[in-house]
Amino acid sequence: MPHERSHIVSSFEQELEQLRAMMVKIGRIVEEQVSLALRAIADHDEAAADEATRLDPDVDELEREVEGLVIRLLALRSPMGADLREIVAALKITGDLERIGDYAASIARKAIKAASSEGHISLSGLRSMGRLVRENLGRTVEAVINHDAHQAMEVWHADRGVDEHYVTLFRELVTYMMEDARNIRACTELLFIAKNLERIGDHATNVAERVYYAVTGENLPTLRPRGGSPDTQGLGKR
Amino acid sequence: MTSVPLPSSEHAAGPSDTGPEQEVALSVRDLNFHYGSHHALHGISLDFPARCVTAMIGPSGCGKSTLLRVFNKIYDLYPGQRATGEVLFDGRNILEDSINLDMLRARIGMVFQKPTPFPMSIYDNIAFGVRLHEKLSRTEMDERVQDVLTRVALWNEVRDRLHAPATGLSGGQQQRLCIARSIATRPEVLLLDEPTSALDPISTARIEELLDELKEEFTIAIVTHNMQQAARCADRVAFFYLGRLVEVDTADRIFTNPRQKQTQDYITGRFG
Repeated sequence: MPHERSHIVSSFEQELEQLRAMMVKIGRIVEEQVSLALRAIADHDEAAADEATRLDPDVDELEREVEGLVIRLLALRSPMGADLREIVAALKITGDLERIGDYAASIARKAIKAASSEGHISLSGLRSMGRLVRENLGRTVEAVINHDAHQAMEVWHADRGVDEHYVTLFRELVTYMMEDARNIRACTELLFIAKNLERIGDHATNVAERVYYAVTGENLPTLRPRGGSPDTQGLGKR
Repeated sequence: MTSVPLPSSEHAAGPSDTGPEQEVALSVRDLNFHYGSHHALHGISLDFPARCVTAMIGPSGCGKSTLLRVFNKIYDLYPGQRATGEVLFDGRNILEDSINLDMLRARIGMVFQKPTPFPMSIYDNIAFGVRLHEKLSRTEMDERVQDVLTRVALWNEVRDRLHAPATGLSGGQQQRLCIARSIATRPEVLLLDEPTSALDPISTARIEELLDELKEEFTIAIVTHNMQQAARCADRVAFFYLGRLVEVDTADRIFTNPRQKQTQDYITGRFG
């Protein structure tokens, strides 16, 4: 995606660089939000939860700035080819990153709620799912920054692991609830958290698809390999 | 020889192209053109599908206008300019000496960068060319003039001054008159060499709208330096560089995801 040669019109090149810098910034903030949310789960860290939520308006503001810049570039520069793909991809990627930020803030809030009511529920499954989501997101953001189609495709495939974690976790939490009704409140919060982590994974794959298109001009297949859903994994057949 | 990648004729008519059933109006095969010792076109092979707009883009001196000029053999006027290869039109190679130039130019019309009205009335600008090729009654000629002026959206603007000098029209109107004059002899192909580069944006938009209507009946080849114009008007776009055809594909493909790096550099403004 980044051209070997600079644009003849240097102010256009500068605006593209500005757009790329904004993508780096929004990507890093969203990564930070997800890290904070995971700390809130693992350590019941209220300060981390607050910080994850506090970063939300920053992401929203950056999203609006990207939107403004993209509209200006489209209107004033009439971009073509790889420039056009990059600019449109930036707009869509920003939308996905903003959603990821929202989910992270929501996870952080729920983690604190769950912590206040949990019984003897193991968080190891959730932590491990969180680590994978965080890792995939990190690689996705790197793919955005480095315009790396290969990395984008790897992340796109790796989301299958997140789906599988979600299915396992779903079963585990349902089991806890069946064992002891007093677990229901905490488990429900944890289920929402798991679902939000799974959604973060989906948005990260959307981002990966956009990067792949922007760089190569080709679309990844419409259907992504998935790790299955609770409904298809034999839940409720007991 | 430079290392510009030259697509084969198979690539020029590749999968994202016009499809096998598409009728071809002009077919260029291994065309070479020389201005004296200067080799201006190198082995060009390119099809112009019927009733489509094909735009030719590329930096100055890339050969796109030369190619357009080969199609109605304007080069024939100049000694030292010669074309080899084939340009098939209606089953014949128009490069052959036996081709009747008057007939060829009636069937392949041309419009130039600057409007070139004849120093005569609006009416006669159109009637002049028609009279060379057809014997029409006064009424038939009136109808022909009205018909073509209506089709270029000029009729309402000039109906009350058909016998006024054409040079009194605005630039945009003059260019539309020139297009009307070209289509009045009922050609099959219309060649346009940067037809809007001397016009204001509104006149340009009118010409572009006109091309969209004319392509239902005519095969149009347009040379333009304005890439947005090529993107707006053309069904297919051919990119030329240093006298070679680098890439030809649908306008959509060329402007969103061209196959050749040189095309990519040119359309995104990173050339040279």
